[in-house]
Amino acid sequence: MKRRLPFQVKLFLSLVGFSCLLLALLGAILFHVLDRQLHRDLGQRARVQATQIALMPGLAEKVAARDVSGIAHLIQPLRNQSDASYIVIGDVREQHLYHSESPERLHLPMIGGDNAEVLQGKTIISMRKGGIGVSLRSKAPILDANNQVIGIVSVGYLTSYIANINARLLWQAGLYGLLLLILLFIFSWMFTRNVKRQMFWLEPKEIALLVLQQKALLEAMYEGIFAVNAEKQLILINRAARELLDIRQPENELIGKPIEQIVQTPLTFFDPTSVVDNRSLHDQITVLNQREVIVNRVPIEVEPGAERGWVFSFRDKNDINTLSSQLSQVKRYADNLRIMRHEQLNWTATLAGLLQMQRYDDAMRYIQAQSEGAQAVLDFVSTRITSPCLCGLLLGKFVSAREKGIELAFDPACQLTRIPTGISETALMSVIGNLLDNAVDATLKAHNSAAPVELYISDRNQELLIEVADQGVGIEDALKPHIFEQGVSSKPSDVHEMAGSDHGIGLYLAAGYINQAGGSIEVTDNSPQGTIFSVFIPFPGSVSTGQHHE
Amino acid sequence: MSKSSAFDVVIVEDEPYLASLHRDFIEQNFKLRVVGIAATLEQARALLELHQPPLVLLDNFLPDGQGVELIDSPLLKSFDCSVIFITAASDMQTCSQAMRSGAFDYIIKPVSFHRLRSSLERFMQLVETKRHVKVVDQTALDRLFNLPAINIPSASSTKGIEPNTLERVQAVFTHKPDISWSVEQVVQEVGISKTTGRRYLEYCVEMGFIVVEMQYGNIGHPRRLYRKKIGA
Repeated sequence: MKRRLPFQVKLFLSLVGFSCLLLALLGAILFHVLDRQLHRDLGQRARVQATQIALMPGLAEKVAARDVSGIAHLIQPLRNQSDASYIVIGDVREQHLYHSESPERLHLPMIGGDNAEVLQGKTIISMRKGGIGVSLRSKAPILDANNQVIGIVSVGYLTSYIANINARLLWQAGLYGLLLLILLFIFSWMFTRNVKRQMFWLEPKEIALLVLQQKALLEAMYEGIFAVNAEKQLILINRAARELLDIRQPENELIGKPIEQIVQTPLTFFDPTSVVDNRSLHDQITVLNQREVIVNRVPIEVEPGAERGWVFSFRDKNDINTLSSQLSQVKRYADNLRIMRHEQLNWTATLAGLLQMQRYDDAMRYIQAQSEGAQAVLDFVSTRITSPCLCGLLLGKFVSAREKGIELAFDPACQLTRIPTGISETALMSVIGNLLDNAVDATLKAHNSAAPVELYISDRNQELLIEVADQGVGIEDALKPHIFEQGVSSKPSDVHEMAGSDHGIGLYLAAGYINQAGGSIEVTDNSPQGTIFSVFIPFPGSVSTGQHHE
Repeated sequence: MSKSSAFDVVIVEDEPYLASLHRDFIEQNFKLRVVGIAATLEQARALLELHQPPLVLLDNFLPDGQGVELIDSPLLKSFDCSVIFITAASDMQTCSQAMRSGAFDYIIKPVSFHRLRSSLERFMQLVETKRHVKVVDQTALDRLFNLPAINIPSASSTKGIEPNTLERVQAVFTHKPDISWSVEQVVQEVGISKTTGRRYLEYCVEMGFIVVEMQYGNIGHPRRLYRKKIGA
């Protein structure tokens, strides 16, 4: 199995490896240069010595006289002073007259074959294998008084000597190199650690995955999200945000632009004072691009206390309203269920008690009383109103009002067996339903009012009469002349209520239906408080709209 | 009632004890024969298809759905079937739905046998009438299907009318027969609420004691005034 090295180790190894390669190359070049320099230096040294020896007073005469012991006597003190590997004196026939290292070579020929130029009077530096090994040497001619070459001086340094010097150099350099390497190790390790820390100890693959994940996450979110940096430039925006704020440009065009150019925000949105006061904001209602939204704001902090920007997430306010109203409905429903269960338990317990005590008549009466009220309303509605749809509507309104804690009281004289031809059944339902809804709402708003909403429907005379009376909050006098106009509503549009456009349209529609049928609607104050709506719709065939002038 | 075979009834009720109580009550008191008891909607459909009964006692809460769904179903519309819809008092909202679909009657649980008896009596009356009316014209048909409403005695408009109060209302008009009164004026004079006042005035109009007058002129809507009918 191929084992993946962690990023830090990989980075460390490559740093060290590359640095070692560099060091080695540098060392090789340096060594090469040093080696050449050494050879040149030694060559020069050999040459200087050879030249000086050749010029030694008395040497020429002794060479000419082939005074071997005299030469040795002359050279030996020099030899002792010199660092050269050997000093050799030869005659023009290339035979040794003096050899500092091996005296037995006396009168034997010189080895190397590089004497030709010297015999012509030149001084040379050469590298040859001599009698005692390979050496770097310099040869100088010995001249007599007539400038005739009469001998050769050769001063040499054996390569083993040079190698020795090199080895010492190399060893020193190696020591420094090792020191450098250790420094390099330490530096690389610290560097990689630092890099890793800045990457939150994550591997590059993990970072790439995180980036992709974040992108997918942002796009999948239903909430709109955008982020700005400290210069209030957009650095991030998701699809939901673009859709909610109706921004058409593609994402890459938006990034980096000042936020003010993209989103129209209220002036206080980036107000520095508010930013300081509460750095995180929750559920603040504001307007972005003419849309009411609920915004959360979270600062991006690279280090604690140092903001580098903010992330904003927001939702459409209408969505929240729908949700919260649904939630409150569910809550109410749950409450109802709880109450019903409680009632049911009590009921069963009472009944069981009565039966155990053999009070059968009481049990019978108790049972009948349970369904009597509801049955009475049901029977009343279904016998007095012949239209099944209106029956359903009235019963529905009765039940929904009761759920809100308000009694819908049907006048005992209610009766509806015919519907005026001028108005359709659905229109009539809409009229009655609307009046009842308004009455229930008005009663609910008058918090202390437990008075029922009264309904009176009669078709006995020449007109269909519908009268809905409540003892709720009533209608302001200033509003009264306008309540049948479109868009006029007494219902407050505060935050907690659904911001609906259906308010202010019910009465307008109802009045329209009634007018079409040739009827009229009257609004009067109820006593002690509240409102009475009276609707009169004529039955065609009756003489006129109920006017009997005798 | 003529001598004839009993009518089929299907009971849809998931509480077996209650269902058998209903069956006993029905079969002991009426010329009805319970041909099947269904505990679920599915069983109910099968039984109804099989027997095509003229009457079904339908409970709303069933293990596999709501009985109210059946009332509107094409199955029940395909043959002449009356539905007596039974549901709990806490479930009156469903009754409103059942009413729109047009059930024959609605009974609230716990079922009062007294109430069930009157409902079944009306049903028997309906089928007997149907049997004897050979030629069914539209009005007769309407009358039959509006049976519950027709049962209201015509005198029922006197409901909520007290002779004492009526007298006081009438006195207002009798004392000053030439004056047109608005509702506000009448209720102030008599000392009753506006909503009650409207009921008495409309009753008087029905009786032919007073007439309605419209007063135009002022801004806005015409005002409705009541005046004693001449000669009444």
